[in-house]
Amino acid sequence: MSLSYVSLLDLAVVVVMVTAALTLWRQSLAAAVKALAVQGVGLGAVAMILGAHRHDLILVGVGVLVLAIKALAVPLLITRVVAHDHAAREASPLINVPASLVGAGLLTLLAFAATRGVVTLVATPAGRLIPFGIAIVLIGFFSMVVRRRAVSQIVGLLTIDNGIALTAFLGTSGVPLVVELGVTLDVLLAVVVLQVLAAQLQRHFNVQDLDQLRDLHD
Amino acid sequence: MTDVLVAFIATASSAAIAGALLPRRVRVLVSAVLLIAASVCAIALAGHVVSSGSDVAWSHSTLLPLGGLVLRLTPLGALFVILSGLVGAAASLYWIGYSHHSLNARSAATSFSLFILGLLAVPMAGNVTTFLFAWELMALSSLALVAHDHARRREAVAAARWYAVMTQGGAVAITFSLIGLAAHANSTSFARIAASAATLTPGAASSFFLLALIGFASKSGAVPLHVWLPRAHAEAPGPVSALMSGAMVNLGVYGIILVGRVLLHGGEEWWWLVVSAIGAVTAIVGALYAATSKDVKRLLAYSTSDNMGLVLMALGASGLTLASGHATLASLALVTALVLVVNHSLFKSTLFFAAGSVHAATASRNMDELGGLARTMPVTSLAFLAGTLAVSAIPPLNGFAGEWLLFQSLLHSLASHGVAATITVTLAVAAVALTGGLTIIAFVKAYGITFLGRGRSDAALEARETSPTMRVAASLTALACVVTGVVPYAVIGVVNRALDAGANAPVAGWVTMRLNPLTGAVTPLYLSAALAGGIVLVASWRALAARRSGFASVATLEPWGSGRHNQTSRMQYTATSFGEPIMRVFDDVLRPDHDVDVSHVVESRYYLERISYRSANEDIVERALYRPATRALDWWARHTRGIANGSVHRYLAYGLVALVIILVVLQ
Amino acid sequence: MTSTSGSVLASALQLAWVLLAGPLALGLMRKVRSRLEGRAGASVLQPLRDLAKLSRKQRTRPTDSTWVFGAAPVVLVASALVASAFSPLVTLSSLLATRVDFVAILFVLLLGSVALLLGALDTGTAFAGMGASRAAMVGAMVEPALLVAILAMSLGVGTSNLSRLVGVGVTTSALAGPARILALVSFFIAILAETGRLPVDNPATHLELTMIHEAMVLEYAGPDLALITLGESLRLVLLLGLFANLALPWGVASGTGTLGLFLGLLAVSLKVAAVAVAVSVFEVTTAKIRLFRIPELLAGAFLLGVLSVISAVALR
Repeated sequence: MSLSYVSLLDLAVVVVMVTAALTLWRQSLAAAVKALAVQGVGLGAVAMILGAHRHDLILVGVGVLVLAIKALAVPLLITRVVAHDHAAREASPLINVPASLVGAGLLTLLAFAATRGVVTLVATPAGRLIPFGIAIVLIGFFSMVVRRRAVSQIVGLLTIDNGIALTAFLGTSGVPLVVELGVTLDVLLAVVVLQVLAAQLQRHFNVQDLDQLRDLHD
Repeated sequence: MTDVLVAFIATASSAAIAGALLPRRVRVLVSAVLLIAASVCAIALAGHVVSSGSDVAWSHSTLLPLGGLVLRLTPLGALFVILSGLVGAAASLYWIGYSHHSLNARSAATSFSLFILGLLAVPMAGNVTTFLFAWELMALSSLALVAHDHARRREAVAAARWYAVMTQGGAVAITFSLIGLAAHANSTSFARIAASAATLTPGAASSFFLLALIGFASKSGAVPLHVWLPRAHAEAPGPVSALMSGAMVNLGVYGIILVGRVLLHGGEEWWWLVVSAIGAVTAIVGALYAATSKDVKRLLAYSTSDNMGLVLMALGASGLTLASGHATLASLALVTALVLVVNHSLFKSTLFFAAGSVHAATASRNMDELGGLARTMPVTSLAFLAGTLAVSAIPPLNGFAGEWLLFQSLLHSLASHGVAATITVTLAVAAVALTGGLTIIAFVKAYGITFLGRGRSDAALEARETSPTMRVAASLTALACVVTGVVPYAVIGVVNRALDAGANAPVAGWVTMRLNPLTGAVTPLYLSAALAGGIVLVASWRALAARRSGFASVATLEPWGSGRHNQTSRMQYTATSFGEPIMRVFDDVLRPDHDVDVSHVVESRYYLERISYRSANEDIVERALYRPATRALDWWARHTRGIANGSVHRYLAYGLVALVIILVVLQ
Repeated sequence: MTSTSGSVLASALQLAWVLLAGPLALGLMRKVRSRLEGRAGASVLQPLRDLAKLSRKQRTRPTDSTWVFGAAPVVLVASALVASAFSPLVTLSSLLATRVDFVAILFVLLLGSVALLLGALDTGTAFAGMGASRAAMVGAMVEPALLVAILAMSLGVGTSNLSRLVGVGVTTSALAGPARILALVSFFIAILAETGRLPVDNPATHLELTMIHEAMVLEYAGPDLALITLGESLRLVLLLGLFANLALPWGVASGTGTLGLFLGLLAVSLKVAAVAVAVSVFEVTTAKIRLFRIPELLAGAFLLGVLSVISAVALR
């Protein structure tokens, strides 16, 4: 009983949730990227557990894909940006870490309050986890708001994407493979573009702080 | 029992008259003895009401207009009468000694007596008129006492001004609310108002509740209406601070329960969400400023705000659970709120008595100038230590029972609730937990810096223990903290009776506090005994070790200063430096002003002549909310000054115009 | 089968166990650390020898101290002993097991912390004041995390009684439930901070300015220092023992039978040893964080606690 479908699913979702909190918690960008990788593992696990439970091989396949892209490829790419840029090891947040953690807590509570109706509508073990997905989207948004570095923005964007994917997995009987494929590849593309952009910025202006880009408009 | 009620009124009034008429030598002594007698009468009466469960009433129709003077002691009111009586009697005793130092003028003696009379009369009031009369008596006499030192201290004038504005503003709100309720019921009697409340429209009931909440919460020091409290409670003379923090703030809670629960029968869920939210914010703001202030009485005053915040959270939880149909949880939370109120009264009056003695002995409230008083003022120091442990909720003192009940109430409301309440309760738990930690910082600082270490000024070094009555008063309330800590049922039992819980009492048990239908138990009695036993055991081991080692005495050595000899008392940590880390952690919230001035000697920049450091930590609510408001008011006043230029003809013209307008409107 | 005499015996056994296990756990942690750093290290028994040596020395006190200075070590040890006697370490049926809960244990331990803070301020020196100020800050940040973690663990069971909290784990599957895992992680971070381990405080530091706990107790010597070292080690094994029993509740005796007590003793010793070794391995691989980053760490622990409460309510 101890490792049933429900408890495994709970565990995987909580891993995704905690890693979202971790990206806000640790100031080190390398740690945030590691958290993102673990988040990808959790998300892939969610898809695979759901797929196995529903005997849906395509969903399992999506899980493997998510694992490959979000747990391996994307973190590797971002790690290269971080490794190249010695000035950008730390996230340098706009508001301090304890305050942003409290903010994350409040947003999570908000997500639970806002999705009360949905949870009663989708009365499945997976359905009651939907608030976590919404909370992760909100936390991702929040971290894009309060963090300065371009890399932090990418991490925030990916967190939002993971939150949306999680909500989709949990809420419906699974996203159609094509859609999931498209979205995941889009994100990969976006990361590649951002990586190139960040590297270019770094080379030309020697800045990674997006606030400083306000000076560039003319 | 009405004889006792009449005796109470007679003794309390004669105390005020004695204060006004007798010569200085005997004035305070006679007034104080009469006040103690009056308090004892009131406690006896209230005790009878609580134990019998039946009201005692007395009325006089010609003394007041609109319904007359009606005193009706209900079990709930009786609980607050007992509290006011206990604190009032102790404060009167304390006053005898304190009057050698200050507070012995004719006006002060009269106001002090009227203040205690007001504190006892508010919870006895049986109709709106009596309630408002007693409320104003209490407010105005305490205002006079806050302003008592106005000739010597500018701060006292400022404090009195803040207090006057806030308390009268609050009184206006309460008056509107109660008169509105009375008009609907067509009677000023509380019983009739309660009976007719069911026919109120929801909108009217909500607006009456919110008005009352504004007035009463401001009296209890709830954010953002708390700004008067740290000033007035700190500037008031010793026994008056104890009365204000130990008894007057309680009546704000009484008022909220009276209007929200007795007159309006619980009302709607969102009222209590508001109360909970106010409570959580109040607790955190109060605890933060207590942890960072360096004036010992200001610290205590902020801690009063903090504790009232906890009470409001418990009240809010009670109202929420009642509105959603969990009667058991509601009564548990209500008992919790009242136990918190009782405990707070006992330990806060102890703390204010001790702080008043320190102020009397050293003429300073700034902890950065105090220190080492445990040697010269041992009794006061012990009383303050008891208060410190009690307010930090550490067993075996009484604060623990309240904190434990609060945790249990929140735990059980969380365990049986929907998502909406989950969010509030989760936030409440977070606030309680954060507040607990900050309270410990505040009070370790208050006791450690004021009473331990070395004296930081001549006044602190030369301090002497104050007069016996002050010490006795502080020791008695400290003893009450210990007794009600070891046997919390002494408080809980009375509270159960006052709420008429009977066999369904949510908490019971002399030895072990047990929640009634819910699970949860703790035994402060055995824990205290075990702690005492443990301390004796460990201390005897140490004595034995000393005997075996052959060293009979304890060597007194100079402390370590990294090799430096003759460390001075100025090298110690001060209240400011002790609170610095927490100030830094909460920098974004508190936004303190720091100012470091470094001046170099003229010859070389490498040598310093002087470094001066100033820091100011002004209340953020005051800065963000009140300063713009007062500035706007000031601007408006300056620009409308032209209307009143002193010409009598112009004033007469205004009168004429007003009369014409009224005639036109009314025709 | 639980009788009063059995419970008294069980509590006495737990007291004896913490008194022995406390110093031994310290010795074990130092040994593991030394070996990982490539040193031979002192014997595991060294803390016991140190205590014996210290207890034979003369007591000292700073010139301007009061009775509070001398009372603090006694209260520290007494509070830790009381908390240990009534906690489910070896058995669920220790004395007062049904009448003492997690909150009570927490606040009894708090009595010891406050005593130590006041003892430090009583010395009237800059170092002790600095240590007390920092320790008070860390303590104030730890308490929210601890209390919320306790609340989260209690939610699933409906009571904050410790024996029930541990006992539920024995009868049902313990690992299940993300709420409990989150609460335990949060609890563990809080324990590290509360007992002054890395990355919050370095227990082996010898530089006054970087100290937290050591700066507070700088003035203590002889039997008083022995008491403080003992008291700190008691708190360490008590908290590690509670954590171990909450996380891996197997082996805890439910009654007071001889075999059960023996097995319980064995189980808790092994579990605490394992956790202690894990903590010291972690300590070798990590550096002390800056003082003003500690709130970040504890805010994280607090957030995990809040998430745990949310999961406990939402995943019910």
